[in-house]
Amino acid sequence: MSLSGLSGASLSAVKAGRFVSILKSLIWIAAFLLVVELIVVALGIRPYYLPRPSAIAAAFLATPQAYLLSMWRTLLETIIGFVAGSLFGVAMGVLFHRWTILRELFFPLFVVSQTIPVIAFGAVVVLWFGNTLFAKAVIAFYISFLPVTVNALLGFATVDPRQVALMRSFGAKEGQILRRLYLPAALPQIFVALKLASSLSLIGAIVGEWFGDTTGLGVLLLQAMYNENVVGIWVTIVASACLGIGLYGAVSEAERRIVFWGAEQ
Amino acid sequence: MSTVAASSNARRIGRGFAGAFLLAAIWELSVRGFNLPTYVLPSVSSILAGMVADAGKLAAAARFTAAEALTGYLLGCVIGIAAAVGVSMVPRTRSAVMSVATAINSVPVVAYSPLVLLWLGIGMTSKIVMVAVAVSFTVFLSTVAGLDRVDRKSIDLVRSFGAGRMAVLWRLRLPTALPLIIAGMRVSTVRSVIVAIVTEMLGAYGGLGWVIYQAVLQIDFVQVWAAIIVASAISLCFFGVISFIEQRYIFWR
Repeated sequence: MSLSGLSGASLSAVKAGRFVSILKSLIWIAAFLLVVELIVVALGIRPYYLPRPSAIAAAFLATPQAYLLSMWRTLLETIIGFVAGSLFGVAMGVLFHRWTILRELFFPLFVVSQTIPVIAFGAVVVLWFGNTLFAKAVIAFYISFLPVTVNALLGFATVDPRQVALMRSFGAKEGQILRRLYLPAALPQIFVALKLASSLSLIGAIVGEWFGDTTGLGVLLLQAMYNENVVGIWVTIVASACLGIGLYGAVSEAERRIVFWGAEQ
Repeated sequence: MSTVAASSNARRIGRGFAGAFLLAAIWELSVRGFNLPTYVLPSVSSILAGMVADAGKLAAAARFTAAEALTGYLLGCVIGIAAAVGVSMVPRTRSAVMSVATAINSVPVVAYSPLVLLWLGIGMTSKIVMVAVAVSFTVFLSTVAGLDRVDRKSIDLVRSFGAGRMAVLWRLRLPTALPLIIAGMRVSTVRSVIVAIVTEMLGAYGGLGWVIYQAVLQIDFVQVWAAIIVASAISLCFFGVISFIEQRYIFWR
């Protein structure tokens, strides 16, 4: 009883600590923006090189609808690609772990596939799947699955073979061993990769939109570049950052809830 | 012991090549079997023929891109490591620098490309700067993580022998951090080539990204694939060199 009360108290202390640290970062970022604003005004830097942060905020508030719609579209592409990439990444990890021959034949190709600049591949993907949301999701998928596979394999390798033998001796089936032993053991590693994959799939979605589309953050970036609208580029950069931070935060939160034992390791 | 390791290594490499050949064979056969048009998927043999035919152009483009990627990479590594060392030497700046760095790093790096192109023009400078930005953040974050790994007690011990700040950094912090630093550098190799190519596609006078962009406009997909293969070969070489250095010199991992 007293123990649970104690852990509850320390838990809320941890939460408060997290809140304070987030608040601190926000204060630092606000201070940084203020300094930038002052420097731009004081030195008279032209907006072409660096617009004032307040001008960037004003540009967003002038046409919030366009930016929000684009963020939503890019978010959809990113999430579809990210979820597909994560599932495929884990599945490949399982296959490669189970059958060494598959790993030796195809894992090097997986690694090589990641050295292909995604933007070059993008032209081909858009040709295959048309100029659709799906094509962008495929690009996001393509650039996000490998880290998940690599870390799933790393995580599987940490499992003690004696534990596998023990479960077998109690008559556990392959599927049960996978679900009860391998996946929980690999989850901390897998989540490390998922955090990386979330930002990679956002890059994939943005780059995918460069091959022609009507909405999306990538489109806004290109349009602003062709119009030499530096303020517009900055608004889009900030919007991409918000998406990136949001996705990263969502995956971290899921990690805290799902891998509650992660802190022990 | 070492011969066993060598033979298993040889087997792994052999299997890797077998996998590559298997993929190439399936690719070639399905292109021929289903009679796929070139714009959907050109056959491996036609891509290889295209690479031979355009060898001069591809080699020039590859040199261009490799020069951009390598210069940006070296700059980025130096900046990233120097910044991380600076932050760890002056702990008071740490929370400010880390917050701002995390914020800047949370932007997908390609989103900076249009801005940098507008600022620096479409010559080589803009690509070098983009690569340096992408590389320096990765190296910075992994160096900070590495420098943090040093045990407080080890520092106190070395200090008690009369070591100054620089000695602690040189003798203790950097060697402890080196495995993570070089891991960050290894990851950055592939990224540097990709970022150079991505930025070239938005505007350039030469390079593989420019070749790919031109080929897409001319619907010449054999050349697109040829350039993709050359780009991937450059990344692999680069990655291989850094991995080799890592295995050779970071023996205390």
